[in-house]
Amino acid sequence: MTDATTPAAQTGPAIQLAEVQFRWRARAPLVLDIPALTVAAGERLFLRGPSGSGKSTLLALLGGVTTPQYGTVEVLGQPLHRLGGARRDAFRADHIGYIFQMFNLIPYLSVLDNVLLPCRFSHQRAQRVAARGAARSEALHLLRRLGLDGALAARAVTELSVGQQQRVAAARALLGGPELIIADEPTSALDADHRAAVVEVLLGECAALGSTLVFVSHDRALEPLFHRALCLTELNRAGTV
Amino acid sequence: MAMLSLTLRSLLNRRYTALLTISAIALSTALLLGVERVRVEARAGFAQTISGTDLVVGARSGQVQLLLYAIFRLGNPTNNMRWDSYRAIARHPAVAWSVPLMLGDAHRGFRVLGTTPDYFTHYRYGRGRALEFAAGQPFADVFDAVLGADVARQLGYALGHDIVISHGTGAVSFVQHDTLPFRVVGILAKSGTPVDRTIHVGLAGIEAVHLGWEGGTAPRHAPTAAAVRAMELTPQAISAVLVGLESRLALFGVQREINHYAGEPLTAVIPGVALQELWDLIGVAERALLAISACVVGVGLLGMLTAILSGLNERRREMAILRSVGARPLQVFGLLMSEAWLLALLGAILGVVLLYGALWLGRPLIEAQWGLYLAIGPLAPREWAVLAIILGAGTLIGAVPGYRAYRYSLADGLTVRV
Repeated sequence: MTDATTPAAQTGPAIQLAEVQFRWRARAPLVLDIPALTVAAGERLFLRGPSGSGKSTLLALLGGVTTPQYGTVEVLGQPLHRLGGARRDAFRADHIGYIFQMFNLIPYLSVLDNVLLPCRFSHQRAQRVAARGAARSEALHLLRRLGLDGALAARAVTELSVGQQQRVAAARALLGGPELIIADEPTSALDADHRAAVVEVLLGECAALGSTLVFVSHDRALEPLFHRALCLTELNRAGTV
Repeated sequence: MAMLSLTLRSLLNRRYTALLTISAIALSTALLLGVERVRVEARAGFAQTISGTDLVVGARSGQVQLLLYAIFRLGNPTNNMRWDSYRAIARHPAVAWSVPLMLGDAHRGFRVLGTTPDYFTHYRYGRGRALEFAAGQPFADVFDAVLGADVARQLGYALGHDIVISHGTGAVSFVQHDTLPFRVVGILAKSGTPVDRTIHVGLAGIEAVHLGWEGGTAPRHAPTAAAVRAMELTPQAISAVLVGLESRLALFGVQREINHYAGEPLTAVIPGVALQELWDLIGVAERALLAISACVVGVGLLGMLTAILSGLNERRREMAILRSVGARPLQVFGLLMSEAWLLALLGAILGVVLLYGALWLGRPLIEAQWGLYLAIGPLAPREWAVLAIILGAGTLIGAVPGYRAYRYSLADGLTVRV
């Protein structure tokens, strides 16, 4: 399933979880208990699961915001479970693009500055953007490919529709071509027309960049667009208890 | 730093709240600096109520008490000193000049000072400023009077006005020396010293109105003005003497000599030393004012804390977004802390601007009203220290929302809580 556009430096799976157990506090019940999960580099994975199935926790583990009590979480070959908090934050800044369900944008920054936000925190991503040309023009280019014209870039994000906001968020996640894109129900706030449009451009860009995509959604109609679909309740033994 | 420009943009986005917060800090900073500056200037002005006079001599008493009645016209001398003691001091080889002072009478609440015309040349205030006449000239005749600036202004007197001196120093007196009125021949310019509230007459004038009063009651047949002028009117006793020395090197020697004068018990005080002692007494009020101003600054900074904290919950989403693009919790802490720092910095800068604006606008008014001259100089080291403390306290206060945001961003992670 490895795509032809996979970055050359990267070999092996993008994500590999083994015997992962997670609970928020020492005596709290298990939230996650995943024996194994492997996502190949360049794979576009559809992940579905009802609320409370541990989706947010799984994404927090993949994003390196938290670490499991047991088991290993390897992302792009990095053992996140063994890295310290600051290293994991730096790793996320360098290699992961993140899209939220809604309210993705910082209200006091312009559209363009929202897209360029990762460059403030990751030198590596700033460099990768710079390698393709000036950061501004690269951001504008991304926005255009996502169907947002340049006139929008200077606008305040509060003037955008929800659909436009989600595209801006996608542009931010894709900026600098991070190896892993995590999308947490990015289309659930959109109506059907916009939903398809956003998913299509996101899939298209991931394919073009060779990025691995983990796409969380309830919307089973979108499943055929992905390489593989997983249900978290089947994956997570803790959820069934 | 990446966060500082974010802080700036974030504050600009909330510019009305930010502006209010900055204004509160600026006003309180200006108040504190203003109080500090007025305090320093008032203290300097107070210490310069009298200058150029080396010793103030009176009958044996405490040095503050002597200073209070001789210079500030407050209270009364417990004892007078004899005229021949004054003559002995005046003849002393180390003494360059001496001006006798006689107190005890008043006119509508303002003290009447009996002295010699030398008073107007030798009494100095500030950095050696002499008294100036706004109108007229020093007294020459027995019944001439020279008014301080406040006396003339408050009572509405002009040159040529007749005034009657009352016996005793109360505002309302039932015993008037009304057979012998004085005529205003001079009005002094504002000096910001107790001179402004004094009516000056010759020693002979004080003697004249008391002729026949030796028993303490009004004489049955008061003499006429013409008859008085013909009399020898040297007083038997005076209240105090201002003394200027040939050389300040002799200061302590002469002071000791006068304090051990064999003729009668006398006290000689060095005005600067006594003024310092007096200021220490009334300095409590000054320190209280300073403390209140400091509290106002504290309130201003607490206002900032409230403003930042109240907006914090709505900003949890923003923090999750920042974390998703790789911000460390410590950077989120820094975002909030630098916000407080920036607000305090802008507040302090605006406060200094306000201070100088107020000084520039208020200086003529303050000088005319209270005779207090406020210098518009650069910030003094103490004022810099005050600003540094405000900035430091503001930044430290920022640690409170900073810590809460830090906790939020750890707990929320990438979960957007709305």
